[in-house]
Amino acid sequence: MKEIHEFVKQFNVEIPLEEKQIVRKRNRYYLLSDKLNHNAPKGFFYAGDYLGAVKGTGFFPGFALLRMIAKTEATKVILGKKAAWLFICGRDIFKRGLLKQSDLKKDDYVLIMNKNEECLGFGRVMINVREEIDMDKIAVKNILDVGDFLRREKKLSTNKSKK
Amino acid sequence: MNISENMVTSRLEKRGITLEKVPFLDMGYWIKKSRFSVGATEEYLLGLYSIQEAAAQIPATLFTNLENKTVLDACASPGGKTVQMANLMNNSGLIVALDLKPRKMFPLVNQLERSRVANTAAYNMDAKEASKLNIKFDCVLLDVPCSGNPITDREWFSKRTLADIHKNARRQRQILAEATKVTKNGGEIVYATCSLEPEENEFNMDWAVKNLPLKIEKIKCYGEKGLTKVFDSILDSSVKKAKRIWPNETQGFFVCKLKKMGNN
Repeated sequence: MKEIHEFVKQFNVEIPLEEKQIVRKRNRYYLLSDKLNHNAPKGFFYAGDYLGAVKGTGFFPGFALLRMIAKTEATKVILGKKAAWLFICGRDIFKRGLLKQSDLKKDDYVLIMNKNEECLGFGRVMINVREEIDMDKIAVKNILDVGDFLRREKKLSTNKSKK
Repeated sequence: MNISENMVTSRLEKRGITLEKVPFLDMGYWIKKSRFSVGATEEYLLGLYSIQEAAAQIPATLFTNLENKTVLDACASPGGKTVQMANLMNNSGLIVALDLKPRKMFPLVNQLERSRVANTAAYNMDAKEASKLNIKFDCVLLDVPCSGNPITDREWFSKRTLADIHKNARRQRQILAEATKVTKNGGEIVYATCSLEPEENEFNMDWAVKNLPLKIEKIKCYGEKGLTKVFDSILDSSVKKAKRIWPNETQGFFVCKLKKMGNN
């Protein structure tokens, strides 16, 4: 639980999470509804909303957690169509790709949203955005994007064909 | 469950994708034209729609009402029908999704996370051991492992033997028997295969009504009546209530709805 709260704090917000609804399974955290919590037998492989996993000394979020953070006043940037597509393809974001942003400071964590305000992932701010005049400078480094679902599928099919 | 149908179709059309409503499905569309893979759009990655063959979308729609129910998806991976049921349930109730093979768990959970399914617990477990879960289910989906059909597998004729088909039919009956044990009295089982072999379909349904406390329910969906005269055998007349979907606009498919007899 501590890891989740610490991760969320990096977006300068807090989200209410009911401790009794969160289950840790090995290094992974899941948020379970009451029905799941009371009726799903133990020993599951995956359940409810995947919140993220502890990796080494850090915490790596799932998309459900990012969506929960996105509902708050967390630091966000909104991307245009092209930048959104490049971001989903795993690329970093140039300053020119930012359509709308809060006052971003170097090293901040930031949620990446599309024009419909749907969360595409998150990244780390690489420059002081207001001060930077070079539009071709990388403004946000991609840490996680929804294209990861495809990359996982590809990895799975590659592993399968190797076997 | 993550966006309205109109919103998602209009977003896809704006991307230049031509859609055509599948006439026999409430929420299914055929992709008539697209310059790129519909499995790689922003909308897909955001879980706003899923991709599933048209006939394969029928089974989940046959349950009387799924909302707030306790549901078993006995052979769940890669999770297309699990996601579809979660959508029909509006993420309420509970789905227990099983799959036997460890490597098949990853595509399943990838699909659940992408589609924002929150009402499901997935287990790496053999459907033939479902009673170990100690749960009684209102609805059970049995999309059982089968021999497939030549429409979706070009090497089908060189790969399959009659012995395979008999082996699959035996395994399917074992799964069906276990599923019956974990279904509440009055509960519903939907049995489906993408095989066209009568041994895996009508013969198994005939066996089920003769050996298990199950009766076949009438269903209204695309397809032709189940066969009752096959290979010189006359099967129980209720088997005709099942639907056999011959490959044409869809792949080959078989579906049958069963009800567990007895009072709760």
